[in-house]
Formats: sequence, structure tokens, C-alpha cells
Amino acid sequence: MRVADLVNDDASLISRRCWADQQVYELEKRGIFGRAWLFLGHESQIREPGDFVQAYMCETPVILARGGDGGIHASINSCTHRGLPVCRASHGNTRRFVCPYHSWSYTVEGDLVTIPQESEVRCKPDKSALGLKRVPRVESWRGLVFGSFDEAIIPLEDYLGDMRFYLDAFFGRFPGGIEFLGAPHRWVMDANWKLPVENQLGDVNHGAFLHAAIIPREIQQQIEAIGYSAVTAPGHGATFRLMPEDAPVDEVAWGMEGMGAILGTDEVRQYLRDVQAQAAERVGDLRARMKGLTYGIYPNLSFLWSNTSFKVSHPRGPGKVEYWSWAVVPADAPDTIKQTLRRNYSSFFGPGGILEQEDSEVWVQQYRGASIDFADDRPFFYGLGLGEEAGHPQLPGLVSVTANEFYARHFFRRWRDDLQSVEGGQ
Amino acid sequence: MTTVSLQTTPEEQRALERFYFHEARLLDNRQYRQWLALLCPDISYRLPARTNLMVDNRQRGCEDMISVERELEGADSLGCPLREETYVHLMLRVERAFKVNSWSENPPPRTRRIVGNVELMARKGEALEVLSNFHLFYARPGSADFLYSGQRRDTLLAGSDGYRLRQRDVVLDYADINFPTVGLLF
Ligand code: FES
Ligand SMILES: [Fe+2]
Repeated sequence: MRVADLVNDDASLISRRCWADQQVYELEKRGIFGRAWLFLGHESQIREPGDFVQAYMCETPVILARGGDGGIHASINSCTHRGLPVCRASHGNTRRFVCPYHSWSYTVEGDLVTIPQESEVRCKPDKSALGLKRVPRVESWRGLVFGSFDEAIIPLEDYLGDMRFYLDAFFGRFPGGIEFLGAPHRWVMDANWKLPVENQLGDVNHGAFLHAAIIPREIQQQIEAIGYSAVTAPGHGATFRLMPEDAPVDEVAWGMEGMGAILGTDEVRQYLRDVQAQAAERVGDLRARMKGLTYGIYPNLSFLWSNTSFKVSHPRGPGKVEYWSWAVVPADAPDTIKQTLRRNYSSFFGPGGILEQEDSEVWVQQYRGASIDFADDRPFFYGLGLGEEAGHPQLPGLVSVTANEFYARHFFRRWRDDLQSVEGGQ
Repeated sequence: MTTVSLQTTPEEQRALERFYFHEARLLDNRQYRQWLALLCPDISYRLPARTNLMVDNRQRGCEDMISVERELEGADSLGCPLREETYVHLMLRVERAFKVNSWSENPPPRTRRIVGNVELMARKGEALEVLSNFHLFYARPGSADFLYSGQRRDTLLAGSDGYRLRQRDVVLDYADINFPTVGLLF
């Protein structure tokens, strides 16, 4: 197998082996997950010293914690003695992580504090060298914390690049920023990690088809009329609607189309109108008219603006994925409004969502299609809209209609480059 | 929650069980519209999320240390329950089931549920608080089989033509969600 044979030049043909091959997966680990910025969590989850949440960098378990010094720390959740995870909770607050096996204990920053057996031996181990392995690079932007195994990776802000323009169109609306509610919903599917990513990177055109039982045709017509897909860098993308300048506030305002707002109180709807009233001042005229759909950050972070959820697709092998998703709300909203708005997410998305059950189903079925024999000469067609994207006077990146699959072609070109860079054992 | 169920008559206990067995049969027979008729229009239907917490050392030896309640992110929390639904949500789910493009359930899954441990826990005027447990077998064509297990914490309204469901909290017994969906009608 050569990576060059998996993705053709313009990435309009994608081999089935990209999805269902152990060798490819090993290359992904080294070429992508070993080197990219990977999402770990949001600062709102670890406000107080000692607060921690679990995270993953590919299959490697990580503890993200707020240290006693107020700093953010990310350590690999594996004891230096025999390798057990020292933290078994999904989140919490603690002074120490105590390993179950021989009770070595670590601070939330990852320093080894006690070795109970040490008093019985003459030669004392150097504890300062035996802490949990730190994630070498940790940086955050607008509260989103990322880690990388690559010491030499470019700064996070540069990595996000022009995606910051699109992300700020959402984050910038709220004076207090956003917060993540509670522990992530996590569910396991027999699917490859890349398909949920691709789905949230720009595939809004399955909506009216796969989800036709729920999504009315008019939504598709609206997306065709005023929808955009933007690729700021290969693997990063945003889809959104740009509402007409004279559109009524209830049509433009973020959140109004969700179940929380539709079934919620007038107080909730007024809150959303108030947010929209300040939007132009806070994020500018153009971005105030933006109504986002899906966003993706390479390699595996997604933000579903329309249902305000962050998602991470954690690989568990070529054919298994652990999908995490969180409801996201404005941090300074009253609690009752947060509790209402979280339904904009959970009604339709997450493991119990009315829409996402169809997505989960096709992700699993796609993996089956990718795993079959005797069809390697029939790669998947990614050529819709080939070459039809172009620059835009006001919107950063390459821009096109949402039916153009350039977001996925760019993803796979970057993916191919990343894999080639470690091919042949480098 | 009290620890012992209320003293009730055999007739009332039997009536509650008849209600639940009827409900189970409607759901397994996919007669979802008839199931909707068992709900109050202002129903609230919720599934708390279940989290994995550290044991709190200060609660060592106490029941609270390992209580189920502390694992739940429910409607009152600032976490995110898996589901918090109204009649409208449930109606959407039911209508979806009768459309050809409800792909994850087309062909429809075969389900069979056993409902048991029906306990009347409290009586507040017309409202009854009732606990029940269920095991739900779920076989989807072209996929694996799954077993759902959980507790339902219901509020029923007793009317002249039988009971109506006013509130249901479903506590699912999962560690990692490896079911295809938790969007079923439990
Ligand atoms: S394995 Fe952690 S203390 Fe021995
Ligand atoms: Fe979808």
C-alpha cells in the first residue's frame, strides 16, 4: 500500500482503504494525531484549582486540569510505575490522583508526590523525574484548550488561522464567552472517525435527504439560496447562511430555530433577540448576519453552530469511534436560560437526538461499505463541484456553494500529505 | 424518595400493572400513536445523563458515597441530560417512525420489553409516583442485538378512563453508550 494510491491528485477519488485499513490507521496516528493540535476541553470545565476533566488525544487518555497555580495542565493519564490510569472519573475536583495499584500519588499538575513503598528501600527514586508525562504543548484560544505531542508545532492561533474569523462570529456575540455544560455525551459506534468529521466539516447537503423524516424541504431551499461553504485552510471549514440585510430579527438571531427557543418561554426568546441586537456592534455587520451551520477544525473537532454543540471524533481503531459532544451556552446567561437552550442541542443531536440517530446509522453503514472486498477499483467519488470554489471579497478562505465537496477534498489532501510525511517509517 | 412503597390495594396494584403491560405491548407492537394517547399533553419526558465520578473520600462509609443519584445529570442540574422532551418531541418521534426515511429504524427494529418491579411510591392528590424497571431487547436488521436496562420514575394521573403519563424520568444503566441510540420510547 502506498498513500499516493489512496487519494488521487485533486482528491476527487478516495480509496475505501482510507477508511478501513489497520496500516492506514497506524499512519494516521503518527502523521496526524502525533503532530496536530488536538482539542482537549474548554476552560469553563476547569474553573477552580483542582478541577479536572478527562480528554483523549487519539487513543491516549489525558487529564486536563486547573492547577493550584491557576494554570492549565495536560498530562497523560498513565502511572509511571506500571501504567494504570491514575484518574478514573470523567471529571471532578481533587488534590491528588492516587493510582489504584500501589498508591503512588500525583498532583493535578501531574507531579509525583508519594511512593508509599519508598520508605522500605534504601535507594530513593528521583520523584521529580517520575511524574505523569506532560502533553508537550498546551495552548488555548477563546477558552478552547488544545494540546499537541509535537513540541515544534506552530502556535495555536496560527494553526486556527482564519477559522478564528468564523468562530468569533459566534463566540464574539457573548460578552462572557461561552461555556460547556456538564460532562460530554459519549457514544461508541462501529464507524471510522473521519466520517463524523467530514459530516460536520461541510456536508450540510445530506440534511434534507437523510433527515427528510424531520427536516422540511424549505430548509434545503434556504441553504441553497443563501448558504456558503468556506475552507480557510485544508481540513478547516465552515458552512453558514448569510441572511439578507432586511431579514427580521427572529429569523437571523442565533438559537431561535432550536427546540429550546421554540418551546421555551418569552424570556428565552427575548434573551436571544437581545443578543442579536448587539451582534452588529460586537462582531460587525457582516458576521451579525451569519447564521452558522457546521464547522470543522482539523483533524477531529467540530462545532455545530445551528444546534450549539462541540463534538470530537476520537478514533478507537479504523472501525470504531468514540464520539463526544457537549451542549454549549452563553456563559453569562441566567441558569434557567442555559437549561432551556441546551435542548437546542439535545433534542436533535447527541446519542438521543432525533436527527443524529440517522447520522450514526449512516456512519456505521459507510464503514461496512468501505470494508468490502473486490471493490478496490471503485473508489468513492468526491468530485462534486470540482474547481468551482474561489476567493471572496468579504469572507476569508475559498468559498463556494454548500453542494461543492471541496471541503472534503481539501481535508483529504492534507490527510494525504500528513500520512506521506511519515510513510516509510520516518 | 422513601425506601418502602405505599400500602395499596391489590386492585390498585393490578391496575397499575395493567397500564404498564398495555403500554409495553403498544410499544413493542409499534402502535406508537396509540401510545401517544396515554400521555398528558404537558408531559415531561427525560433521560438524565450518567457520569463517572470519583468517590468522595469524605463520604467514605456513607450510602451517599455510592448513590445512583450523584451519577445523574438531570433536568435540575447545570449539566446536560441526554433528553428533556415535551409532547411535541415525542410526537415528532412517533411521526418519524411512520416515514420511509427514518433510516435508522427502517426496517424497524424488533423490540421486546419486560416491565416489572412496579411500586407505588407516593400519592399526591390525583398524581401517583410510580417506579418500574425494564429490560428492553432491541434487534435491528443488519446490525447487532442490544439490551437496554433501566428504571422509570413516573408520575401518573389517575382519571376516570385510566391513567395518563405526566412525567417520566428514565435512568438508563449504561457506562459507555454502545447502543445505536438512546432515542427510543422507553
Ligand atoms: S502502577 Fe501505579 S502505583 Fe503501581
Ligand atoms: Fe446529519
